[in-house]
Amino acid sequence: MHFSPNPFLRMKIQEQIDLSLEGKLSAADQAALEAELLSEPELMASYVRQRWLHAELLTDRTLLSSLDEQVRTRPEKSTASWIALAAALVLSGFSILALTRANHARFEPVATLIEAENCRWEGSDLPTREGAQLGVGTLALAEGMATIRFDSGATVTLEAPTVLQVDSAMRCRLIEGSVVADVPDSAHGFTIDTEKMEVIDLGTRFGVTSTPVGGSHVFVFDGEVKVRENDKEEARHILSGNSLHLGALPQTADQEIIQRPPVQSAHSDWLSVSTAFGRGKDAYIRRTDSSGKTGDDPLLMVKHTDLAAGNERRALLTFDLSRIAREQMQAAKLTLMMESSGLGFSSLVPDSTFAVYAAIHPSIHAWGESNLTWEGSPHLTTDIPEETNFVRLAGFTIPKGSANTLIEVTSDELSRFLLSSADGLVTLMLVRETGEFDKQGLVHAFASKEHPSGPAPTLWFQPIPRP
Amino acid sequence: MMSDLDPNEQTEAYLTLLNENERKLAVYVHALVPDFADAEDILQACRLTMWKKFATFKPGTSFPAWGKKIALNQILNYRRSAKRKPLHTMDPEFIESVAKEIDRQSESLSQRSEALQECLGKLPENQRQTVVLRYYDNCGIDEIARTTGRTEGAVYRLLSRIRASLNECISARTRSSA
Repeated sequence: MHFSPNPFLRMKIQEQIDLSLEGKLSAADQAALEAELLSEPELMASYVRQRWLHAELLTDRTLLSSLDEQVRTRPEKSTASWIALAAALVLSGFSILALTRANHARFEPVATLIEAENCRWEGSDLPTREGAQLGVGTLALAEGMATIRFDSGATVTLEAPTVLQVDSAMRCRLIEGSVVADVPDSAHGFTIDTEKMEVIDLGTRFGVTSTPVGGSHVFVFDGEVKVRENDKEEARHILSGNSLHLGALPQTADQEIIQRPPVQSAHSDWLSVSTAFGRGKDAYIRRTDSSGKTGDDPLLMVKHTDLAAGNERRALLTFDLSRIAREQMQAAKLTLMMESSGLGFSSLVPDSTFAVYAAIHPSIHAWGESNLTWEGSPHLTTDIPEETNFVRLAGFTIPKGSANTLIEVTSDELSRFLLSSADGLVTLMLVRETGEFDKQGLVHAFASKEHPSGPAPTLWFQPIPRP
Repeated sequence: MMSDLDPNEQTEAYLTLLNENERKLAVYVHALVPDFADAEDILQACRLTMWKKFATFKPGTSFPAWGKKIALNQILNYRRSAKRKPLHTMDPEFIESVAKEIDRQSESLSQRSEALQECLGKLPENQRQTVVLRYYDNCGIDEIARTTGRTEGAVYRLLSRIRASLNECISARTRSSA
């Protein structure tokens, strides 16, 4: 039996610790947290290190005063220290002009953050306030959508999760994620670099995506761009309505995969079974079957569209529950880790709803990772899964611009089905129910059992407490 | 025994030891008392009690260990007597367990203190700014959220990430020097 630690629970506990450090936890939650920590020595050790660091930062004025001088950029203070510094320098014979120039060179803005709604940022070294002037640096958007206008006139909309490095008024680098660029005549030649290619605008609106496990993708909505692959001399021209995809799965090579916090053995009585256990398997099917066999893909892709029917995708998850004594369980749920597919743009889909179906016909468990095709699976591909083969157990929504997080799917039906099904195997089908506004709408993706860092789809079972 | 010294020598010895160890003691108390003002009150009471009991301190033994014991008693007494502020209270049994864990990690915690400065310097600028707002300017989370245009939830997560990356950096540093 594979008992994996529960990252979801771990995240919840960390949230409680963060609140407790600020004294903002309710008495009941505080008591629950204390009980949790007392029963988990490893967690307690980590908690004490966090408390200690928090206390050190609270008490050490000298440590922080040096830091304060480095970052103090708020106008009221910086003006005062500027005058003092300038006065000191005049006295010591320095030229204020030289100093002004040096300062100017360092903070020269090249762009402005013109829109940032419902955004959550992380690890950015540029300001993330709406209206902020941006110099050279990095923006990391974890949630939401944000638009920056470069001083050249080009605007770039970031769709979370995206990390973008601002290089100059005419150039930026997409480290990871999706952006849509609108480039007026004044900014012809505006360039977006990715790990795999350089996209040079020739008067257009275009989108670029780049993911650690999906390569780089450019789509031209309108106009024309020039694309140069890394290390290649010749450039390709891509015209309105066309796209180009570079890079294969799952060569992560020198691109860093964003690390999730390390999973610790959080206290939990839930038992877990992922698609990686026993006879478990996972894959997705695409209507045209042009993605080939997907059983070994790190991503499970899901899409619904009425605009380009060939791009319809559904994921299939089979779990081996032979080692779970289901009569001793009282609840069950499913977790899925969202990942970036690198395909399509979230600005072109609404908040998306998904349905989880369970196969009720045992023959469906027999699908194979190496021979699953849309063409060969008529019972999996009906518009609405047929009642004789499938039952709908649960639904969930992913709002547009959502961060990649762990999704927890629960419902009474799901729990009841998983606990009562007599089969050793359970097969679930994941279907997106909402469509898209444009053919280039986002393809949703979830970590499969082959994903290098994300947890595989997992079923969780809560035992009935023993008296 | 300190009582062997004359009063002037005692005062001088006390002030020297207090000066050397005050910071360690302050971190200890703040680590065990979530409310900043409460922690400062307790520290003040500690200084007094330590001074009153200084005659019983044995020279050559560890002053910080002696001080910590007094501080823990002060904290537990304070916690038992003050039934106010339900938001900030920790269960006395829990406080004792945390104190035990601090003792257990005591050596590595003091090593970690030394690495902190360097690790603070490595934070990206916006994170350093957040550290200054929270810990130097003593801003509340709501205030930081307002000044930086984030939601309160985002500020909690950001501070959490900052502490996690500081702790990672500190761990890496203390491991490599060990």
